[in-house]
Amino acid sequence: MSTPRELTYLEAVRECMSQEMRVNEDVFIMGEDIGLYGGAFGVTRGMLEEFGKERVRNTPISEAAIAGAAVGAAMTGMRPIVELQFSDFITIATDQIVNQAAKNRYMFGGKGKVPLVLRTPSGSGTGAAAQHSQSLEAWMAHIPGLKVIQPSTAYDAKGLLKAAIDDDNPVIFYEHKLLYRTKGHVPEESYSLPIGKADIKRAGTDVTIVATAIMVHKALQAAVELEKEGISVEIIDPRTLVPLDIETIVESVKKTGRVVVVHEAVKRGGFGGEIASLIAESEAFDYLDAPIKRLGGKSVPIPYNPVLEKAAIPQEQDIIQAVKDTVFRR
Amino acid sequence: MATAVFMPKLSMTMETGTVIQWFKQEGDLVREGDVLLEVLTDKINIEVESYSTGTLLKIYYGPDQVVPVNQVIGYVGEASEVVPDIAPSAEPHSSTEATEVQNEQKENHETRERESVGQKIRATPVARRIAKDNEIDLSLVNGTGPNGRVQKVDIEQAVAARSAKPISTQPETTTEPRSRKVKVEGMRKVIAERMAVSANTAPHVTLSTEADMSQVMEVRSTLLPTIEKMTGHRLSYTEIIMKAVATALSRHPKVNASLKDDVIELHETINVGLAVAVTDGLLVPVIKQADRKGLADLTTETKRVAGLARDGRLLPDDMRGGTFTISNLGMYAIDVFTPIINQPESAILGVGRIHEKPVGVNGQIVLRPMMSLSLSFDHRVMDGAPAAAFLQEIKELLESPYHLLA
Repeated sequence: MSTPRELTYLEAVRECMSQEMRVNEDVFIMGEDIGLYGGAFGVTRGMLEEFGKERVRNTPISEAAIAGAAVGAAMTGMRPIVELQFSDFITIATDQIVNQAAKNRYMFGGKGKVPLVLRTPSGSGTGAAAQHSQSLEAWMAHIPGLKVIQPSTAYDAKGLLKAAIDDDNPVIFYEHKLLYRTKGHVPEESYSLPIGKADIKRAGTDVTIVATAIMVHKALQAAVELEKEGISVEIIDPRTLVPLDIETIVESVKKTGRVVVVHEAVKRGGFGGEIASLIAESEAFDYLDAPIKRLGGKSVPIPYNPVLEKAAIPQEQDIIQAVKDTVFRR
Repeated sequence: MATAVFMPKLSMTMETGTVIQWFKQEGDLVREGDVLLEVLTDKINIEVESYSTGTLLKIYYGPDQVVPVNQVIGYVGEASEVVPDIAPSAEPHSSTEATEVQNEQKENHETRERESVGQKIRATPVARRIAKDNEIDLSLVNGTGPNGRVQKVDIEQAVAARSAKPISTQPETTTEPRSRKVKVEGMRKVIAERMAVSANTAPHVTLSTEADMSQVMEVRSTLLPTIEKMTGHRLSYTEIIMKAVATALSRHPKVNASLKDDVIELHETINVGLAVAVTDGLLVPVIKQADRKGLADLTTETKRVAGLARDGRLLPDDMRGGTFTISNLGMYAIDVFTPIINQPESAILGVGRIHEKPVGVNGQIVLRPMMSLSLSFDHRVMDGAPAAAFLQEIKELLESPYHLLA
C-alpha cells in the first residue's frame, strides 16, 4: 500500500483549476498578477506556461472591471475563475457581484446563466493589517443568488472548487491565507464534493463545535485538549455557507445537546448568528442543554501588531473556555 | 372585577365558620366597610365587613350553613358581572377575580399548581422535554446549572431517583429533606466493602507527627530542572515522600508485612501504593520496588500511573502487589487524618498539607514549613513502639532528605 499523496491547500486549488482547464476549453482564469507572477499567494504559479495568456489573463488593477468582465464572460458561455488578491477588495467589485452576478439568472427568467467562480483569500494571521485581513463571508452569504464556500482542508478545497466550477451559478470561494501552506491527503484524479454538504471533522458526544475555515483546525486542537479533561467534542465544518447543510448540524446538536459556533469573522452580524438561529428554530431546540454559544472576532479592524492581531480573533484557548462554559456543571 | 367574599379565619384553630345572617341581599349596593354578614366561630360571633364597594352579586351560603375558612361565600362587583352559580371550592390562594375563577374551574388542580410555580423555573429545553416525557414536575428538581438552571443531568437523576422510589405526590408539604439515591455499585461498592472489612477486622491505631519540610523544599527546587529535563515531568513532594517511605520500609521490615490467618508474611519487595482520587472513587496504583528507584524513575512512574488512573486505563497489574500505601491529602487544607489500612497491608501513611507554622528551634520561635504524617497500623501485626520508630524514621528522612540520595 502506498501512502496517500499529500498536497498543500494551495496546490490542491491549483491542481483543480489546471485539471478543469485541461478538460474544458470554456474554463479560464483571470485576475491581477496571476500570470508570470503567479498571483498574490502563488496559487496560479506555472499555469501561464501551460495554458498561455489567453486562458490565464492578467487584468488591470480594477476589481470592478474584473468582476464585470467575468459576469459578461460567464453569461456568454464561458466559465471564468476570478482571483481577487484579497477578499477585502470585494467591496470594489460589489456592484458587479451583488447586483449583476447574483441577480442576472433570476432577472432574465433563467435565460442567462452565470457560471462564475470568484476565488479570494480571506482571514488574518499574516500581518497584512486591517484592509487585507478581514473575513467578510457573511456579507456575501446574505445575498440571494450567490453560493458561498469556505473550505478548511486541501481535500475539501480541490473537491469543492471543482463543484464550484461546474455550477451554473456565481460562487464566492473563500480561501484562508493561513491554510494555503497546510497539507492534506488529496487524490490525484479529479473529484467533486457536493456544495451544501457539511463534514464531520471529528466525532464526539458532549458538545458540538460548528467551525469554519481556520477555526476548524483550532477547534480540532482544542478538542484534543478537552478530551484530556473528559469532554468529548464533535466538530462540524459546514464547508459551504450557502447552501448550508443545517441538517448535519441539527443532528449533531440533537446528539450532544450543546453547541459552540466559532468563526474568525467579527461576531456581531457574523454567520455564526445565522447558524445559532437556525439551530434554535430547528427540532434540535428541544435537545439543547445549554445556551448556544457564539465565538467570533472582536469588533475591531484587524490590527497590524501581531499580538493584537491574534487577540482579535478566537484562539484555541478561547474555544476551550467556551466549551467549558457550555458544558458547565456545578 | 368581582371580589370574592371569604369565610374569614378568625383564630389559629378555626377551621370552619357558621353563617348566622346576612345584612345585605343579592343586588344590594355595599360600600367598603359595610357590615355584610355575621359569622359564628367556635368561640364568638363576629360581623364581617366588605373589603370592596359594589353590588353584592352572589350569596352562596345561607344562615346556619357551616363553611370552611377561606371558602368563597359570595361576590361583590359590578351589577353586570357574571359570577359562578356554585361556590368555587376552598382554595387559599385562589384568584379574587371572577373571570379567572371561571377559567380556573375548567382546569384541573395539577395544571394550576404548576402554573403557580412554573414562572420561576429555569430549565434547558432538553430538560423540559425529558421532564414532560417522564411527567416530572420541574419545580421539584434541583437545578445544578448557572443560577439553578435545571439541566439534562438533573432531570436524568430525578428520573433515576424516581424509578428507585416513587416521588411523593405532595413533596412541598413534607418536612423531610430532599435527597436523591445513588446505588452503591462498581468501584463504590468495592471501596465500601474493603474499608468496612479493614476497619472491622484490623485494630487500627493512628500515630501522628510533623516533619519540617524545609530541606525537602530545597532538594525539590534543586532537582526540579534536572528531573524535568530527564523525565519531562515536574518532581513533586509525592515522589520524595514515597522515596522516604520506601527507604524507611527497607529499614523496618516488620511494617512491610501482611497478616494471613496465623502467619505474618514479611515482604521482601517494597511496592508502594499511591491513593489517587478519581471521579466517583479512589484507585491505588502501585509503584513496584519503590526502594530501588531514584527520584527520576519514581517521578516517571508516579505520573504514569496517576495519569492512567485518572483516565480509567489502569491495568489490574498496575494495582496488584502493594505492600504499603500512601494517602496524600496535602493538596487540601488537611493537617491530620486517620487513614484506613488498605488490606492485606499492615499500615498506611496519611500525608497532610505543608504549611508554615511557628516552631521552637534552639529556644527561638521560627516559622517552618511543617507537614503532618499520620500512620495507621494494624495492631495485630505490630505494636506501637516499632510503628512509632518507623514513623520517626520517615520524619527524620524528610528532615534530612540528602540521606535519601545516599
